[in-house]
Amino acid sequence: MTRLERFILSLIFALLVAGLTLVVANAQTPDPQTPVAPTTQQGTTESRCGNCHSDFQNTWFTGAHGRANSDPVFSESWAEQGKPGACLVCHVTGYDPATATWQQDGVSCEACHGPAPEDHPNEPMPVYRTADLCGRCHSDTRFGWEEWKVSAHYQRDMTCTVCHDPHSASLKTIEGDYGQTMDASGLCLNCHKDYSMEFPYSIHSQKGIKCVDCHLRHLGDSSSDEIHTMPDHSFTANLSTCTSCHADQMHAPADTTVIPIESTVTPLVVEESGSGTKTETPSPVSPAGYAGLAGLIGLAGGMVLSPWLERWYRRANNSKETKNDRE
Amino acid sequence: MMKKLALKLPKFTPWLGWVVFLCLVIGAGVVAGLIVFWKGLSVTNLTDLVPWGLWIAIDLTSIAISAGAFSLCAGVYLIGLKRYQPVARTATFIGLIGYSMALLTLLMDIGRPDRFWHAIVYWNKHSLLWEVTMCVTLYLTVLVFETMPIFAKMEWLKKRFPKLAKIMNGTHHYAPYLAVVGLGLSMLHQSSLGAMYGVLKARPLWYRPDISVLFIYSAVAAGMSVTIFVSMLSARLSKKIKVDDTLLERVAYFIGWMLVGYLYFRFWDALSMTYTYEPGRTEGLRLLTSGPLSFNFWVGEMLLGIVIPMILLLNNRTRSLPVWRMLALALVVGGVVAYRWDTNLSGFLVVLSYLPGQPVITYTKYVPSLIEFLAGFGVVAYGFLAVSLGVRYLKVVDHTEEIEEEHAHELELTKTIPV
Amino acid sequence: MTENNFNRRDFLKITAVGVTALTGLRMIDRAEASSGEVGAHQWAMVIDQSKCIGCGYCTLACRAHNDVPQDISWNQVIQVEDIDGKDVFIPRPCMHCAKAPCVDVCPVKASYYRPDGIVMMDYDRCIGCRYCEAACPYNARAFNWKAFTEPNPVVPEWGQPEVERRGRGVVEKCSFCYQRIDRGLELGLTPGVDEGATPACVVICPVGARFFGDLKDPESNVSKLLRERVSYQLRIDLGTSPRVYYLPSEPQGA
Repeated sequence: MTRLERFILSLIFALLVAGLTLVVANAQTPDPQTPVAPTTQQGTTESRCGNCHSDFQNTWFTGAHGRANSDPVFSESWAEQGKPGACLVCHVTGYDPATATWQQDGVSCEACHGPAPEDHPNEPMPVYRTADLCGRCHSDTRFGWEEWKVSAHYQRDMTCTVCHDPHSASLKTIEGDYGQTMDASGLCLNCHKDYSMEFPYSIHSQKGIKCVDCHLRHLGDSSSDEIHTMPDHSFTANLSTCTSCHADQMHAPADTTVIPIESTVTPLVVEESGSGTKTETPSPVSPAGYAGLAGLIGLAGGMVLSPWLERWYRRANNSKETKNDRE
Repeated sequence: MMKKLALKLPKFTPWLGWVVFLCLVIGAGVVAGLIVFWKGLSVTNLTDLVPWGLWIAIDLTSIAISAGAFSLCAGVYLIGLKRYQPVARTATFIGLIGYSMALLTLLMDIGRPDRFWHAIVYWNKHSLLWEVTMCVTLYLTVLVFETMPIFAKMEWLKKRFPKLAKIMNGTHHYAPYLAVVGLGLSMLHQSSLGAMYGVLKARPLWYRPDISVLFIYSAVAAGMSVTIFVSMLSARLSKKIKVDDTLLERVAYFIGWMLVGYLYFRFWDALSMTYTYEPGRTEGLRLLTSGPLSFNFWVGEMLLGIVIPMILLLNNRTRSLPVWRMLALALVVGGVVAYRWDTNLSGFLVVLSYLPGQPVITYTKYVPSLIEFLAGFGVVAYGFLAVSLGVRYLKVVDHTEEIEEEHAHELELTKTIPV
Repeated sequence: MTENNFNRRDFLKITAVGVTALTGLRMIDRAEASSGEVGAHQWAMVIDQSKCIGCGYCTLACRAHNDVPQDISWNQVIQVEDIDGKDVFIPRPCMHCAKAPCVDVCPVKASYYRPDGIVMMDYDRCIGCRYCEAACPYNARAFNWKAFTEPNPVVPEWGQPEVERRGRGVVEKCSFCYQRIDRGLELGLTPGVDEGATPACVVICPVGARFFGDLKDPESNVSKLLRERVSYQLRIDLGTSPRVYYLPSEPQGA
């Protein structure tokens, strides 16, 4: 066996060992992200809007707007009161008091968007999401309009749709940390981020009290209809808010427990889209170097082992040659 | 009956073992490639921060090792070093295989392989990648013409389609013209592959002009090395293959001197970047010199890739010893592989923020996935197999042939020309 | 053709032809570059950092209106260092650079300039080479590593998709909601003023931190804001001339 043959043999060894190292080092592929597949609610409807805007239609249909006159709470209460037509002004669409008939059940598309133009897909139906639009039904007696007007939100020109989804007639949902853990209060913290640093350390938070428990009290007396309880959209907490829980403590000595607030320095958060993670320090790149080393070891091993292989090869060759001779 | 069957099985030879081994790797690669086409690039570890990885490194390397074709052809047909013609022949064949490897890898690497032809139809002349694609496509055509006489030598073709074989063999008349076109195309795209990185202003480590010079320079060194290595290895393994060792030794000596120049360029290239702090560039360089890529850089690129082969090839004693010469040539190729890998990754791993104020440097990571490795090795194994088959059945390495047949006349002519 | 008649003259001839061809290419290219006409509008976005509270509504609205998958954000809200204890955010859409690196490097012209300045993607032409991702300094581009087949979770709460969903294997990015602009202009609306013609992120912003309009119209809200207030763009040192301007958050008490 020449030195070259020996070298080539060991090269094959080196390739094998290096390849094996790479394979082992890369056996741990990251878990593929399982896609979140939310189930869409299926509501059957023959409305023309639903032909194209089926997603909106589905959430509307199961929401409070869609069920405004079919919800059992409403129907019972309405029947109890003798089915007054006044309720229907807001609970159905296109109510005509003269004939006591209406065009569509519930708060339908046209209740807010207005009648659709003839060539609608070409002619748009813009809806101006002003608080006044919602206020046509969610007026003072039913909603607390005056409180809403003194709120900082209103002062800053924020509309109802900032927090509410008009189609599902429910609160909007926020993805990420705040949304999943904090229910309605997640929506508060999404914008009032500075409180998210402090509030979790408070006793209130630790006892399970959320933003809305103090800042979104209900104005109406609790004995009245549940739906018309008038949440206080001024978002302010006052004395009565505190006394609702701390009534028996009001004249007791002040609680001297100091709530430790850990110093929280806002870290430099760089959230990035797309794939790829970032770290402060460089991380090892590839096992190629190790594979190279393994290859060198394999090379040396091959050099050592090749005499054995040679012997084996020669034996095979010898038998071949003898066979050839015989032929 | 049983005996007859057993006799029909081919006897185990090292050649057969080698082919079976390569076929196994190719098989695994084909499976991996199919998974890529089926599941998309999400099976790779590439990200939006490191969009190019192992496959691009294989791509760049296979094009680099093909550079022997244009440089040796230019040497033979333009400078008039006629006696190197058989070496150029080997290089041309390796070039054809190298470029087909690159195309295979690229096809896997792009998100929409079904649209690979878009670059040929929709031109963006500002894009270096467009230029590279066009040049590679055209040059592959040139290579097909240049290698036609090699395929024409196939016994099967000669018997079955004698006319076609004759026409194919006839293309060698155009070899000088093909060499000029090939030289132009190769000069363009071999350096443009480097410039592809060099024009990206968003990546300070790459944004420099000499990266393209380094790319073409190292490609020529690697391309010649592969050619000589394959020729020597073939001659060693088979007694049928005759080589003119003086020719190979001369080229190897030339490569040795090229490495001196390469070391010089690479040294100045790296050193000039160490002056003053430039956000992103300094960190990228640090990745190379002291960071996660430093093993590749110092050991792979510098020591094993340049310094040791340079010494081995310039030293008369080691160069004349085939084993040492071959080792040196193999190391040169390894060094160029490391250079391509390092260049690609050092630019991507450093993420420069675009926010106002002092730029913030963060790092990302990339380790190829198993699928990437398997597919990549599959392509490499295909290259090995194609070259092995070519050497065995197409007489790609054969330094005896040219004296017979057509070139005899040519040689006489050159002899009569007074110097 | 006989052998060995390939001499220096032939070489020079071929070289001359080559050089002429290249020069010709260059001249055609020049002619093309100068004909990149500027349209009647030049859209731009202004983001007031003193107003932005980082609520991320813009990202969600964008995701719904443009049907963007969960792991990609065309518009990313990034929290930067706080100034005087106040958090400061940088929402980052595509900058729609006047000299966009992505347009330069795209091998198939899948990224191109519209006359109104929007840097557009032709998703039917993109081959998915990802060179643009390497070239973009703002990381504004994202590749579809996998197919987005599941229903979009932010639809319909945050809006309804207005454009076709991109398939697997192409790069996508913010388009300034070109579909809203184009349709709005057809209907006689003014982008930046009428909601129907304005990018979804601008419309949804609950605090009014985003403005959109025509730089060519001196009376548009963006022109006025840029005249009246101090503004900056991201990484102008790269010469990209971004069309997204930021009004910096002033320290409190200033």
